[in-house]
This record gives sequence, structure tokens and C-alpha cells, in this order.
Amino acid sequence: MTIRLTVNGETREFAAAPMTPLVDVLRDGLHLTGAKPVCREGFCGACMVLVDAVPTVACLTPVALVEGRDIETVEGLTSGESPTPVQAALEEHDAVQCGMCFPGMVVALTHLTTSGTCEPNRAAVKEALVGNVCRCTGYERIVDAALAVMEAGHE
Amino acid sequence: MRPETPPEILLPATLGEALASLGERAAAPLAGGTWVMRAPLRREPFAPAYVGLSRIPELSLVEVTDDAIAIGAAVTHADLANALAGFPEFAGLRLAAGSSANPAVRSAATVGGNLCTADFAAADLVPALLCLDATVELAGPAGSRLIPLADFLAQRTGLLPGHILTKVVVARTGQRTAHARLPLRKAGDYPVAIVSVAMRVDAMERIGAARIAVGSVEATARRWTGLEDALLGEPLDGARTTGIAGSLLASFNGRDGVEAPGWYRVRVLPALAGRAVASLVAA
Ligand SMILES: Cc1cc2nc3c(=O)[nH]c(=O)nc-3n(C[C@H](O)[C@H](O)[C@H](O)COP(=O)(O)OP(=O)(O)OC[C@H]3O[C@@H](n4cnc5c(N)ncnc54)[C@H](O)[C@@H]3O)c2cc1C
Ligand code: FES
Ligand code: FES
Repeated sequence: MTIRLTVNGETREFAAAPMTPLVDVLRDGLHLTGAKPVCREGFCGACMVLVDAVPTVACLTPVALVEGRDIETVEGLTSGESPTPVQAALEEHDAVQCGMCFPGMVVALTHLTTSGTCEPNRAAVKEALVGNVCRCTGYERIVDAALAVMEAGHE
Repeated sequence: MRPETPPEILLPATLGEALASLGERAAAPLAGGTWVMRAPLRREPFAPAYVGLSRIPELSLVEVTDDAIAIGAAVTHADLANALAGFPEFAGLRLAAGSSANPAVRSAATVGGNLCTADFAAADLVPALLCLDATVELAGPAGSRLIPLADFLAQRTGLLPGHILTKVVVARTGQRTAHARLPLRKAGDYPVAIVSVAMRVDAMERIGAARIAVGSVEATARRWTGLEDALLGEPLDGARTTGIAGSLLASFNGRDGVEAPGWYRVRVLPALAGRAVASLVAA
């Protein structure tokens, strides 16, 4: 079937089988390889993108269900030139190790630091990141970075 | 395990069209897709076609009146948790909807998908709704009918083909409710065991009537009537409840699973019952 999506502000139209996971369409069809299929089970968050501004696991999202919707990937949330506040804080807190989880982590962190849905405290940030698994860092520096962005936003 | 012809997804705008499509194509409903999309991992085939429920407006409504709350089957866990924010009497159901899985899954997975997946023992909403004595509405070619949730759970594999669960109705009776779940990580994975309670408490803070449901321990959630009876007239006391519950475990036959053996699921029930009752004290 023909699918029409807005991806990072651009309207894209392409053919895909309706049950194809959104993550495969983004990577194989549109060559946006930020989102990664790691578990394909909804547990790890490495495939996370925003659908109409809501963090979504792209591995469990059949592309036909997001027809006509607005998709933002890590490529759209960030730019090649200057780091976003979330990226800058991650770098400053030396939070990134292997990087496997980070495209999803940046999507989740961008949402949680800008949507007003997360209280600026450690417990709330950890709760909001339950679906973003990181095998390397132990999370504490990621939480520090998130809180730094939220505090800067309140100044 | 990709099928030869990948399944089609139809997206009807009305319930009538959806039911007609289910009949014509041996199709299955598709709600959030968080269970269906993992079929390949379970080595299960997809259905020949799916009927998406996301464009049928009435399925995504939560309606609250003085007497009851009606939850559309396509309401997501996240939307349900938000909708229940102003209703302390539904604290248990709200916690079930707002703390299962993880935030991204909660914003996709639906109430109907949680209740209709017979092979999923760890569903949080099932015991939370069972202790509220919920009723489900099932629509089919011959019309709609209301079925008590307990009966639906016992018969759902036979009842569901060609049908759509349209809503869940819960009476508002002002009782106190709680939901105690035990995932092995702090959050994010399936609960090993769940105890959901709904209780009426008298002026002396004693238990006047209790409904208690247990999830994830056996293949299908069910009421713990032995404990319900034993707690009548007891004070709202977590430690005391745990003690009483400890001698009432003989009827449970825990299921073995990768995350926990069956005996463990049963062994944690008294502590979960105690936690649930203790959280009613503060309520
Ligand atoms: C990472 C992860 C963690 C999870 N953790 C938890 C947890 O802690 N607790 C918990 O309860 N759940 C958990 N889940 C499971 C999740 O809640 C279920 O997958 C979900 O409830 C299914 O809902 P859905 O809308 O996605 O269903 P779908 O995948 O769309 O459908 C599931 C089944 O129900 C049928 N169906 C759906 N809607 C209807 C309807 N209205 N009428 C008739 N049949 C219907 C479908 O045909 C299909 O057979 C988790 C899932 C993931 C991916
Ligand atoms: S790949 Fe989607 S959550 Fe892990
Ligand atoms: S940095 Fe390696 S998984 Fe997170």
C-alpha cells in the first residue's frame, strides 16, 4: 500500500507492506538509521521516535497505523552543526559510552525535558526512562544531564 | 518468519464496518499492536488480515457518570491513567494503567488488547478490573451484549472470533482500591505476581466487604475468595493481612516462567496482599 507520512517536517510517500514496523521503514526506506531495532520487543527504547510528539517504540508500530501522522526521529530533533541542550548536557556530564541506546535516549530526553510532563527530580526522571535500557552507563549521569537541562529551562 | 503474503490492515471508521470486515476476511482486531507485532518473536503466524480500531471514535472514549465509568476498548493505558486522575476511588486501576510496561508502550497498548490477549498471564488491567467487578461489552454480528468480566475471561477464546470488545463498564461504589504488583526490576518488565483489591471500609476502619483479584500467578487472573472471606471484619492492617493470607495459599498453582518459577509467584502473594491493604489505610 502507499503510505504517506511527515518525517522530520517533510512529507514522504512510499510503498510498504502495512504491517512493516515503522523502524524498518525509517531505516531501510528513508535511510534514517538513528532509530535502531535492538530488542524488537518494546523493552529497550533504542528504536524510539516521536509520533505526533509522543515517544513511541517504532519496532512495535505497524506503519499503516501512523499513516498521515507526524514523525520526528533523532535526526530531526538534532542538527549536524550545534548540539541541542540535551546533547550538550550529555556531553558535559560525560554520559555517553557505546552509544547504542543514545538515539532513543535523546528522543526520550528531548520529550521529557520539554513537554512539562516530568517533575524535575531523580525519581521522576528514572520513571520516565524505564523504557530506555542502557547496558553501559548505569544511568546516573544520564539522569544528571536530564536534570541539568530541566533546571536550565526553569531559569 | 514473514508470511508469504503480508497481512493487510483495514482501518474502518465505524464499528459496523469493522465487524463486517472481521466476518468477511477471518481478520483479527488490531488495537495498539504491542502484542500482535511480537507474534514473530513468539513464533506465531500473523492473522490473514487485521482490522485497526484506531479510527472508530467511540472506542477511544472514557465516559464518567455519577454511577459508572465506561472505558472504550481502544483507550490506551496512558489515557486511562490520565482520565482517572480525579477519582481516588479508582486508585488501583489508575496505578495498573499508569505503571505497567513503560511510558512508550503505555501510550500505545489499549484496554481491549490487554483484556483480549488470552495467552498473556501478566496483564495488569485484568485483576485491577476484576476486583472492581467490571462488565465488558462485546459486539458481534448479532449485536452487542454485556458480560461479567470473570465470565468473559473464562470463555474469551471461544467468544472473541468475529467479535470486538467495545467497552468496559465499572460501577462507582465509593470503595477503596489498590493494586500491588511485583516486577523483578524496579519497573519495565512483566509483574511476577499482582494483587488488586477493592474494599468497603466501615467507620471503625474495619473491612466490611472485599474483592481481591490475583494476576500473573496462574494462566488467567482470578478472585482470591478465601482471603476475601477471611478479611471480613478485620482492621485495615498490612502486616495482619499478610499473616492471614499466608495460610490461604493452597488453592494456587503457580505457573513456571522464564522470570520466575511457579512456587515463587505464590510465595509473594501474602506480602503483596499486605502492601495493597496497607495502601488503603492512607487513602
Ligand atoms: C515492553 C512491554 C512491556 C509490557 N509490560 C506490561 C505490563 O507490565 N503489564 C501489562 O499488563 N502489560 C504489559 N505489556 C503488554 C501490553 O500491555 C499488551 O501487549 C497490550 O495490553 C496489548 O494491547 P494492544 O492494544 O497493543 O493489543 P494488540 O497487540 O493490538 O492486540 C492484542 C490482541 O487482542 C486482540 N484485540 C485487541 N483489541 C481488541 C478488541 N477491542 N476486541 C477484540 N479483540 C481485541 C487482538 O486481535 C490481539 O489478539 C507489555 C508490553 C510490552 C511490549
Ligand atoms: S527495538 Fe524497539 S524497544 Fe527495543
Ligand atoms: S551507552 Fe551503551 S547502551 Fe547506553
